[in-house]
Amino acid sequence: MTGNAYDIDIWGLLVALTMVAIAAGISELMRINIGKTLLWSACRALLQLCAMGFIIGYVIRANNVFLVFAVIAVMLVAAVQITLSRAKGVPKGLAGPVLLSLTITMLLMISLVTELVVRPHPWYAPQLVVPLTGMLLGNTVSALAVGLSRFYESMNERRDEIDTLLALGSTAWEAARPSIVSSIRLGLLPTTATLASCGIVTIPGMMAGQVIAGGDPLEAAKYQFVVFAAIAALTLVADSLIMAMVYRTCFTADDQYKPPEMR
Amino acid sequence: MRTMSNTEHVFTANGVTCIVPAQGERRTIFENLDFAIAPGEIVDLVGPSGSGKSSLLTAFARLNPHATGSFALNGHDSGEFTPQQWRHEVAYLSQKPILPGETVAEAIRLPFTLVIRAGASGIGGQNADAAADNAAAATNAASLASSATTSISTPHTASASTSAPHHIGKVSLGRKFIALFRNNDQQARKLLTDQKIRMTLDAMGCEDIDLDRPPHDLSGGQAARVSLARTLLTEPKVLLADEVDAGLDDENAEKVADIMATAAARGMAIIRIRHRPPDGRASRIVTLANGTLSEQAGEQA
Repeated sequence: MTGNAYDIDIWGLLVALTMVAIAAGISELMRINIGKTLLWSACRALLQLCAMGFIIGYVIRANNVFLVFAVIAVMLVAAVQITLSRAKGVPKGLAGPVLLSLTITMLLMISLVTELVVRPHPWYAPQLVVPLTGMLLGNTVSALAVGLSRFYESMNERRDEIDTLLALGSTAWEAARPSIVSSIRLGLLPTTATLASCGIVTIPGMMAGQVIAGGDPLEAAKYQFVVFAAIAALTLVADSLIMAMVYRTCFTADDQYKPPEMR
Repeated sequence: MRTMSNTEHVFTANGVTCIVPAQGERRTIFENLDFAIAPGEIVDLVGPSGSGKSSLLTAFARLNPHATGSFALNGHDSGEFTPQQWRHEVAYLSQKPILPGETVAEAIRLPFTLVIRAGASGIGGQNADAAADNAAAATNAASLASSATTSISTPHTASASTSAPHHIGKVSLGRKFIALFRNNDQQARKLLTDQKIRMTLDAMGCEDIDLDRPPHDLSGGQAARVSLARTLLTEPKVLLADEVDAGLDDENAEKVADIMATAAARGMAIIRIRHRPPDGRASRIVTLANGTLSEQAGEQA
């Protein structure tokens, strides 16, 4: 894309892999026993990233609106699968709500950030839409997984309190609200922490990439801010949506508490 | 079984059945039970543990997901009420006193932070009528307790009607949304002032309980009385007290029984699950055993 980028050749990749291999070897010597996993994960990451690079490269060259949305659809399905496998102690049948919540936030992201702020030509510009969606999904997936786990854990812990609240005439929403609030708060913690620390402690990956690729650092900073702000706001939206959709799984139609084994 | 007209009873239950899933099969706890209670009556529900006494009471409050049956309040079928409206009138009081909140006052005010009581008035405070009505209900409850101890004499200004306005007026969507997350603390403070709580607790013989203390610091007996006071202040028509005096010393058990007797004298129908020997306050004792209800002769005081 830009001429000033310093390309990495095959030797560069080998050096990186060797570093991992040495670290893995040392860890084996120290009997930390993480060497195999480390090496295996590094190889996986190399393959996955290269595959991703090939696919995005192809999509950008093809510059076809249907292809862009096909890639996004695949990413969404994978995101649902990862969310559900990471969330602990959640009932079955949440794939629909998770997919819906991710899709809505993704559409908001594309319409607001891409079309309102960046305004690319063509409007579906793959080199913008695909990476943005990826970053958004990466963040929301972990927020949803943490939020869902925390919500059901909290609903189980608060069982007696919920029964008391219901007996005093609370609605299902009122009885669930403390759990909803605490799970959204926990799900958003990494996002707010990133927002507060970026620029001081860390140079975020996206900005670093743009700078390394020879972009103007200030431009990169503005881009990074827009993306971070959007991701933070939309993660909150995604978390609230999913909670609004799933909190009723803990209650019967008559607003009675449904214990975990009945969900 | 005697046949009584519906008007005589404040609460009736017919064909109450409870079936719980247990190890893959369905176990019937009880089947087809009938029960009725008149205003001001105290009925003791006894029976071996595991016979389903608690299940029966939670079924009455429509809190039991495993129970079915038809219930009526003053002749109105439970289907005419939302679950919240029903539980507003038929209040289940659990054996464990759960008192969420930073202070005792906050714990007691909890029911008044709920939409069913704060209602539309909690949103922007426009529905003054509802607020006034609820305040009246709270005053009523306070005077209920104070009349017990003759020493305090408060004028009974409130009307007898305690049916709080359940209708949620036309509120804009935005306000509704905000209300979803807003705590109705301010509203609850108006509906039930610290002073009223103090009066009620004093009248119930709970002078020992400090309103500003965290509920965690209360003794078992104090927590049980606070929990009872909280439910009584909501003025239900039927109180379902599930072993409220379990684990209390005799003195505290006696205090709890007194508080309930006073409420019954004001017309509240009370069903108590008890394991203690009869205390002479019940008008009837009903036994639940082997899935059937049987009634003993009225207890003599």
